[in-house]
Amino acid sequence: MGILSTLNPGFVLVALGILTIAMPVRRVRQILTIAAPVLGIFMLSLADHEVNLATANALGIDLILYRVDSLNFIFGLAFLIAALLNAIYALHSDDRLQDGMALAYAGAAVSAAFAGDLMTLFVFWEITAVSSVFLILRAGTKAAYYASMRYLAIQILSGVLLLDGIAYVYKATNSLTIEAFTSLNDPGAMFILLAIGIKAAFPFMHNWLQDSYPKATVVGAVVLSAFTTKLAVLTCARLFPGFDILIWIGAVMTIFPVFFAVIENDLRKVLAYSLNNQVGFMICAIGVADLTTKYGQLAMNGAAAHAFAHIIYKALLFMSMGAVLYRTGTAKASELGGLYKSMPFTTVFCLIGAASISAFPLFSGFVAKSMTMSAVAHEGLIVVWLMLLFASAGVLEHSGIKIPYFAFFGHDSGKRVKEAPFNMLLAMGLAALICIAIGLPSFAGLGYGWLYDLMPYPDVANDYQPFTLSHILTQLQLLVLAILAFMLLKRFGLYPPEKPGTVLDFDWTYRKLGFGFAKWAGTVWAKTGPAMSHVAGSLGQAGFKRLENAFSPQGQLSRGGLTGGMAIWAAALLAAVMLLSFLSMN
Amino acid sequence: MSEEPPIERDTSGRFVKPEGQTAAVEEDDAMHPMAKLLFGWVEAKSTPGILLGAVLLLALGLIAADLLVDRHEYIEFANATGFFGFWGFGAFALAVISGWPLGRLLRRSEDYYGEGDDTPKVHPSEDDA
Repeated sequence: MGILSTLNPGFVLVALGILTIAMPVRRVRQILTIAAPVLGIFMLSLADHEVNLATANALGIDLILYRVDSLNFIFGLAFLIAALLNAIYALHSDDRLQDGMALAYAGAAVSAAFAGDLMTLFVFWEITAVSSVFLILRAGTKAAYYASMRYLAIQILSGVLLLDGIAYVYKATNSLTIEAFTSLNDPGAMFILLAIGIKAAFPFMHNWLQDSYPKATVVGAVVLSAFTTKLAVLTCARLFPGFDILIWIGAVMTIFPVFFAVIENDLRKVLAYSLNNQVGFMICAIGVADLTTKYGQLAMNGAAAHAFAHIIYKALLFMSMGAVLYRTGTAKASELGGLYKSMPFTTVFCLIGAASISAFPLFSGFVAKSMTMSAVAHEGLIVVWLMLLFASAGVLEHSGIKIPYFAFFGHDSGKRVKEAPFNMLLAMGLAALICIAIGLPSFAGLGYGWLYDLMPYPDVANDYQPFTLSHILTQLQLLVLAILAFMLLKRFGLYPPEKPGTVLDFDWTYRKLGFGFAKWAGTVWAKTGPAMSHVAGSLGQAGFKRLENAFSPQGQLSRGGLTGGMAIWAAALLAAVMLLSFLSMN
Repeated sequence: MSEEPPIERDTSGRFVKPEGQTAAVEEDDAMHPMAKLLFGWVEAKSTPGILLGAVLLLALGLIAADLLVDRHEYIEFANATGFFGFWGFGAFALAVISGWPLGRLLRRSEDYYGEGDDTPKVHPSEDDA
């Protein structure tokens, strides 16, 4: 067992991902993509916690390649489960590059999760960016190409900021061990938070997510939904627990996507906004997580549990929309509807994902999100709590109702297609099973108790009771009356119709305004450049001529007098320099 | 020979629908058998009304139940009867209604950025496993 218990399972996934790309035999490739995460889960189960399991030294820097603790364990486990589900979901496709890159991407995320130092984190942070871009590119459209280039640029920028921060940290502390910062005054901390902000899609840094995920392949969007943002959440939790600024960033993140999701027609883009909103809950929880207090620890548990549950139910929702796209050729609400008639199993799985993300009792979101809500309320953050409560109703709107209603029910589009391929149904079924299994009351080590036992602070988690009469009642009130609002708005024609179109977001500033300015500047330069060059050339030529006339051996200054004007001027300058030197010495 | 039921006509000679006969329902041949089993009830015209009534009753029941349950929320005003329900209703309605002005303000043509159709092509090599 020696090497299996001390080798970062992410390394195995990355290596097998590269091997998969080179493997021409489809069946072998399929076995590799499924076996790798299974092996990874087995390896993780053998690892000792709170020990540096693998170390190295490069350029005099001590690297900790594998360290498992109670926080990164739950994220790593979720990544490995997601990698397994993704592999099953992708079995119908015969795409070497996609299969390999998806596995390498998952491996990079797992490796980064278990990295014990910032430099190892940085290396795998960048590998996640480079490997994942192929999942967008493989969609094969012009829009996907442009989106993937923007995605790559923004992700690399995040990496550069991280590296910059690491340099500051190393200069200040002479150590790169991952430890929580105590303030943002250190520029290193600031740069690293910015890097995390990009990857976690903080407000105004979020558009790469909505730009790229909906344009990715059917399988690609499912894979993408699991890793990048949650790796950022984990890194944020490791480095910035209890930073007040995160409370407000997270709260804003939960709110603004709700409004965009209402008017968005592309259902995979709606899910991308929903992802933003969910990550907001986690960031807010990390902000509340003062780890010296019980409720701070509860908040950290909330972030971890939410991330675990979210990785599974968000993958499930992306899978269901992927199946719809795969069968119908579109994921646009205005072109869909009535698909329950031909895709009943996909409909059921989507409804389970919708119930989970909406936090209905007996589904995973209910036992995860409630810890964050309780911690925020306990800290007396009334405005933040109200914002999160608003966002909870918003989640129900865009992911709980809009996704299943407009794809599978609502107006019948008349599309009669085949049910999703068996492998897709199997992946969705397994994800749905997990959503229900961890949402049930705790019994015999199962139900939510299983999840709570894996929390960073299991004692605090197990003290928390999600299934109280009061909590069930208030959550049902919130959800049922929100559903009533939906029904009434639909009945009275107040629900905005789904219309095709592009919804402008903050990326307009660089995709339209910034690009337009660059284009305008280029045009202006193309037109004025030659004229300016001519003027500069003429001026230069005229100046040179004048100097030549004055100073050349045949010039004005060389003519007349006993020794020539040039010699007199040279002597005068020398005298001036000597005088200045003499004065300055005195 | 089996006896044909008598065809009933009224006094003016028009056919009369026999008692108990309902209009022929157009069968959706492409409908998945499991869809009929799981969601057949969705087809009925009365379903939306029944669902609305059921949800309304459930909502009222949950607010009434709030009178009976002794809640101790950390935030004082959240103890008010039906607070979570009314907040959920209001938040949902606000989010949805805001879609009208926001749609007018922010929605542009599908190819606004001039990058063509953003729906990914299903990869040619993708087949059922």
